Formats: sequence, C-alpha cells, structure tokens
Amino acid sequence: MRGRPVSADPLVAALCAVLGRDRVRDDAAERALLAHDASVFAGGAAGPVCFPTSTEEVRAVVRIAASHGSAVVPRGAGTGLAGGAIPLGRPVVVVTTKMNRILEVDRDDRIAWVEPGVVNLDLTKHLRPLGFHFAPDPSSQQACTIGGNVANNSGGPHCLAYGVTSQHVLALDVVLPDGEVVRLGGLDAEPPGYDLRGAFIGGEGTLGIATRIAVRITKNPPAVRTLLLAFDSIEEAATVVGRVVAAGIVPAAMEVMDRGITVAVENFVHAGYPVDAGAVLLVEVDGPEAGTALDAERIAEIGRAGGATSVRTAAGEEERALLWRGRKTAFGAVAQIAPSYYLHDTVVPRAALPQVLRAVYEIAERHGLMVVNVFHAGDGNLHPLLLFDPREPGTLARVHAAGREIVEVSLAAGGVLSGEHGVGVEKRDYMPLQFSDVDLDHQNRLRRAFDPACRANPGKVLPSGHSCADIQSLERLPAGVWA
Amino acid sequence: MTTLGLDPEELGRCVQCGLCLPSCPTFRVTGDESQSPRGRIALMRAVEHEGAPLSAPVRRSFETCVQCRGCETACPSGVPFGHLMARTREVIVQSGLSTSRPVRAGYAALGRPRLVRAAVRAAALGQRLHAVPASAGLPPLPLRQAPLRRTGSDAHLFTGCVMDACQRDVHRDTVRVLAAAGFGVEPTGDRVPCCGALHAHAGLGRAARKLAAGAVRALGDGLPVLVNSAGCGAAMKEYGRLLGSDAARELAGRVFDVSEWLAPRMANLPEVRPLDLRVAVQDPCHLRHVQRVHAATRAVLAPFVRELLELDDDGLCCGAGGSYAFFERREARAIRARKLASIARSAPDVVASANPGCSMHLAAAGVPAVHPMTLVARALGAQGGARGAQGAQGRLGS
Repeated sequence: MRGRPVSADPLVAALCAVLGRDRVRDDAAERALLAHDASVFAGGAAGPVCFPTSTEEVRAVVRIAASHGSAVVPRGAGTGLAGGAIPLGRPVVVVTTKMNRILEVDRDDRIAWVEPGVVNLDLTKHLRPLGFHFAPDPSSQQACTIGGNVANNSGGPHCLAYGVTSQHVLALDVVLPDGEVVRLGGLDAEPPGYDLRGAFIGGEGTLGIATRIAVRITKNPPAVRTLLLAFDSIEEAATVVGRVVAAGIVPAAMEVMDRGITVAVENFVHAGYPVDAGAVLLVEVDGPEAGTALDAERIAEIGRAGGATSVRTAAGEEERALLWRGRKTAFGAVAQIAPSYYLHDTVVPRAALPQVLRAVYEIAERHGLMVVNVFHAGDGNLHPLLLFDPREPGTLARVHAAGREIVEVSLAAGGVLSGEHGVGVEKRDYMPLQFSDVDLDHQNRLRRAFDPACRANPGKVLPSGHSCADIQSLERLPAGVWA
Repeated sequence: MTTLGLDPEELGRCVQCGLCLPSCPTFRVTGDESQSPRGRIALMRAVEHEGAPLSAPVRRSFETCVQCRGCETACPSGVPFGHLMARTREVIVQSGLSTSRPVRAGYAALGRPRLVRAAVRAAALGQRLHAVPASAGLPPLPLRQAPLRRTGSDAHLFTGCVMDACQRDVHRDTVRVLAAAGFGVEPTGDRVPCCGALHAHAGLGRAARKLAAGAVRALGDGLPVLVNSAGCGAAMKEYGRLLGSDAARELAGRVFDVSEWLAPRMANLPEVRPLDLRVAVQDPCHLRHVQRVHAATRAVLAPFVRELLELDDDGLCCGAGGSYAFFERREARAIRARKLASIARSAPDVVASANPGCSMHLAAAGVPAVHPMTLVARALGAQGGARGAQGAQGRLGS
C-alpha cells in the first residue's frame, strides 16, 4: 500500500476505518479534480472522496458523513451537463464507479439487477449475445453510468419510441440520507403503495443514493433501418420531423444536426455526413422487417416532399454505427470549433421547433455568440450549444444571458425547462420560470420527507428560498457556479 | 514552481466531456478520475495554469498512464494526449522527481544491442535452471538465435532492441513472408539499435531524440522501412514531431507496419491452405490508436487462417505498455485481467498480436500469443515443407 498516514481529520479517519485508505482520497489535487463534471459549472473542492463497493459501505459512508455534519454528493462518471454532481461546500463525495457489477439478468422476466456504477453501454454490450439491450441511450452512453441515468431520468435518441429511464427502472435499493436502506418500487407490474420509485428517479442525488437497480431489458428489434436526409435549412428539417409523426409513424429516433455541428462531426468520424447541407435529419425505424421497409419508404417520401436534397439509407450495421457514432460524439466534437461550450437542454412542442430554432440563432447572434444545434427532434428536445472561448473576458456573462433567453423562449412556446440533463445548479434558479411558489414548496416538502436534515446534494435542483440550501447557508454558491 | 511547457492550444482542447473514460485502461480498472485522461489533463492544467505542485499523488496519476493513447481515438475534440503526456513525463524526469539511476541505466542499455542480447540470454539460462521465478512475469525466452541475413534491397526490416533479443524468430518469419511475396529486405540489425520509443514514454526525451536521430542517419537511403513491432512503428512514424527536422519527417513518411505494407500487395502471396486455427486479433494500441492501421492485420491474416475473431473490448489496452508491465506490475496485471476475460469469451486457438510487448505480456499469463507474420509464415511453410514457427511466440498447438 502506498503509504499515507491516516488523516488527522476525524471525518477522513472514520471513512478510512470503513473503506481502507486506498478507497478514501483526501489529497488536495484529487479533490479539486472532482470540482467539475462535463458542464461549464465548477463547484468548490470536494471533501473526502469515497469509493464504496457495496450497499453496506455506502450506508456506512452516509452515516459517518451525517454524524460529522457533512453533506453527501453522489457521483458516477461525471458526464453530467447541469452540474448535478459538483461539490458545493466540501461534501463527502461518494463515487459509484467501483460498484459496477451486473448482478443478475433474468431473460424470462426481462429484468437485470445492476449496481449504479455500471456503464450504460456496457450493460447493452453484456446483453447483446442474449438479444437484449438497455433502451435509454444518452449521447454519453459509452461513458455514463446507470446510476447517473437514474439520477437524471436520462433520455437519449431512442427514447422517442422507447421512453426515458423512468420507464425502464422497476425497483431500486436506496440508501436514504439518514443511512436507512429501503427498496422503492418492485418487480410486479403494479407494486402497491405510493410510487416512490417514480419520485426517486430524476432526484439528482437529493433523495438518496441508489445502490442496486432493477432495470427493464428490451428485446433487440428484428430489423433496423437508418436514413440520413439532407436539407437546405434547419427549419425544413424540423418541419419534416413534425410531418413524419403526423403521418402516424413512430420512428425509434429522429435527430437533427445543423451545418456547423455536422461539419465538426464529419471531421471526426468520416461517416459521409453531407457537409454542404444546411441541416441533416437522422431517422431510425425498427421493428419487423416488412414494417420498417414501408416506414423508411414513407419517411423518404415525406422528406423529399418537405425539401430533402438527398436521402440516404445506411447500407449495413457498420455504416449505421458510424452515423450514430457521429451523432453521439457531437458535443465533444465542437472543441474543433471553439474551446468551450455551454449546452442547453429544453423541450418545446414539435410544431414550435422551426420558430424556436429561428429564435435561438437570433438570440446567439444578438449576443455575439456562435451557436450550433444538434437535438432530439422527435420529441422536441432542443440542445443548442453556445460556443465560446472562456479566456475572452466578458464572454461568460453573454453566454449566461443568451442561455436564459433560450430558456425563456422555450417556455413561452409551451415547452419545459429541462429535457433530460437534469436541473442541477444549471437550471436551479430558472425553476421559478416554470413552477409557482406553491409547486416549488411541495417539491421541497417531498425532498425533506426523504432528507429532513438536508444533507443529500444540497444546493441543487430547487432554488434557494425553496430548498435545503438556505439551511446549509451556501451563500457563496450563486456567485461561484460559473467556471 | 514547475511548469510543464505544454502547448496551451493543445491543453485547452479538452472540453471535459468524459467520452474518453471507458477507453482508458487505468480508469477502467480503478474508476478513479485521477486515473483517467480527463483527470490527467485537469491535473496538467492545474500544474500549468494554477501553480499546483507536482505532488506525489499528481505524479502518480501521470506515472500510472500506460500511454496506450486509446483516449485519442475516443476523443471527438482531437486532444493530442500522447504528446502532452510524453512532455509531462519529460518534465518530471528533468525535475529529478522520477526515474532512479538503475532504471536510467537499463534504458541506456537498450541502445546497446549486445548488452540487451546478453541480458536476455542470461535470463533465458536462468529460466532453464529454474532460477527465474514465474512471478517475474517473463515469457519463455530463447537461449540462442541464429543471425538474420539480408535477402535483398526492396526495403529495410527494422529489427529493434528487445524484440530482436527476444523474438528474432518473428523477424525470421517476417523475412520469409516478404520473400514469398517477392521482396528482399535488409535487416537493420545493429545499425539502428533502438527506436527510442521506450525512452520517450519514460520521459527520457534526450535519449529518445538521440536514438531517433541515429535512425534517421542510418536509414537515409529512401527505401521503405518495414516494422513488425507496433510500438516501434508508431514511434518512428512520429519522428517528424520528435525531431522537427525535414529528414525525420521524410523517414517517418516511409515507415510502414509490415501488415500495412503487405495488405495492398497480397496478390503477390501464393494461395495456400489456411491454418486450421481460430485466431483472435489483439490490436496493439500503437497500431490501432496511433498508427491506425489495424485493419491491415486482418486483411493480411484472413486468407491464411480458418477463422478470424474480434475481441469484444473495443481495442482496450492489454496493460503491456512497453516497460509499463515491468514497472507498474499491479496495474498492468489488473488491466490484463480484463483482456484475458475478453480473450476467454472469444475462445480462440491462438491470439495474434503485432507487438512484442503485448505478446510477451499476454504470453506471461499463459495466452498463446503469436505474431501475425508467424501465422502467415507457418501457413506458407506448411505448404512448402519449411520449418514451422518456433520460439517464444511460436508455441502453437499442433
């Protein structure tokens, strides 16, 4: 063992006594590392960083933190985009990545029990030989964890047809903020009692830490067809999306990318994305062979009628995988354009897509910012990326202002604040734009029912005045969240 | 206060998306941000921009990196992680914070082929006398090896340091395959004692540049340079960046992995009955993530074996990492365990690996690892009645 003396800090010493020195980190540099997730938000330095490997260990860590008056922040792979896993006020950080076992796969009941640190795509790969997959497929699925998916009720391109994480989680074992362990939900179709499972999913670590998760596994479709349509303008692409759904087709996924992001993506994956198109629409249909063939044909027709300049069908699995790789690495690829980005996540009614998109470009232009759009068009989930160089003085203020306007435009169009990335610190102060004081007060009552002492991921999700944040008096928080 | 002298543009390119995490072998086995590419870049930034000290945990984070560069092919932003890490290691060494004198002496010896061969022979003798414990993690080493002869002047065959001492039979097989395709080669032998890759990875930049410069001088005749060690090939292809000279760039432009060079010339090879073997292809990281020519291995092998199998780990590193398996034994073995599990799932007869470090690291765990050239030579030889592949990496079940 690489020797560190057991810490003089009684909290660290107590944690080491349970986890061993190797699985508790207290070095300043390592704690500072966890100040970030994949977003532009930075927290303060973390407190001690713990790597538990079992429900019992999580429970012990939570209890020790409680007895020392410390908050607890759970963290998976740190691919979140709303700052949900960043530490505020030196909390104990519980990293779940070592809890990465797939415990049980039951093909008959189509259930898999997993630990929270299992990587989303690893589960799907594990299920592949059995003919199943885990349906929620966030763009970060190669890296993000199932625990993080539960915390954020994550979506992904294929949630258009298959639904978001909540529809794919049956039961959870949860370590509550006071250290009690409960099972929420159940494997039966209709478990009795209140649906606390539903309440917990999307809780962003403010209601406890899931340590075992029963997920629904989905049979792989017999046939898949992927089409790539090119358009002169993003409005045309967005209009076609609405028409496809209006025609009664429910594609597995419908994704739009504008020219800026398509060029960056193509430069990385070389999948043959048309770099001269104003926008591209990636559509996938799956199901029985005959049905997908028919749907694909009709989508191509609707696309051409709506102004598609080209329609290409992926020739095989390799081409299909390459096209999707492009779509799913889009956020990372923007670094080719600018050193940093701020990714937004709002949802608007499909019919409002063209109008809201126009407004987004206009807002960005007014603030002197570059914006690219890549989004889950099928369910109206927008992801405008504001691109900027953080070294330029004053840029962040403009990014912040433009971001707020994008949220306001989305809400005015009948949309919602957050699609799938969660609220975290990012949208926390926007919550009153969508919810009334009464709404927020009741959300906070739910939160306190789980976490009366306000120790679970404080300062996230609910705005101060409506949350534990005031009790913890994290007054430096609003000023400090920007990177 | 130490600065790393990294290119701010290159260091700034990371947007922290985390898509590299699953491609990093040390993150895979630890789940620890400080053992990930994103974490290491954040630490480089902390040292470079915020004056964070090169404390022991920070150095440890850098030293545990295998330098497999799997994160580079995963990175949509094109962060040149390998260069950032090589430079960082060099600064750590220059600051006197790492690399003990015996270790430096060991690296210095790599430039002296006779010394390397003598050491390997001594170890081989030790193995025969059961004086080298299995826990040393060494594969069976050859006691004596006949010299390689020049077969023509179509290309150079780069023979290298450790590989020539441990796996000259692979060179022999390579020469035989090339001859069957109608090409004669000149083995570089002691003219180019070492490519300098291991030195560059260890942060011994000056030594690496000296060896590279020697190679550029010795191989200035414009002939293609064929390399059958993925790590050496990758390093030589990057001589342009390492030395910054036109001569280095010119040489780098005519360095080829032997499979890369053969793949478009397969029509030259005779059609023979394929070996009755199921062969899993293990892509050496520096072939897949640096040279990015791993498809050629498959093109060359396919006609000569019954079945090619793909491993299901997306080219995750095996933990060999040049001298990594030697100096970071615990990490290297944890990483290898994942590779062994993946190999077990594909249940091959043999594993083809185009890098001596990988094949020795796998062989030490009992994997029948063979170089692709050995398999092709054996398929060709079985037809012509030539001697089958033998030696450390030639232990095929018959």
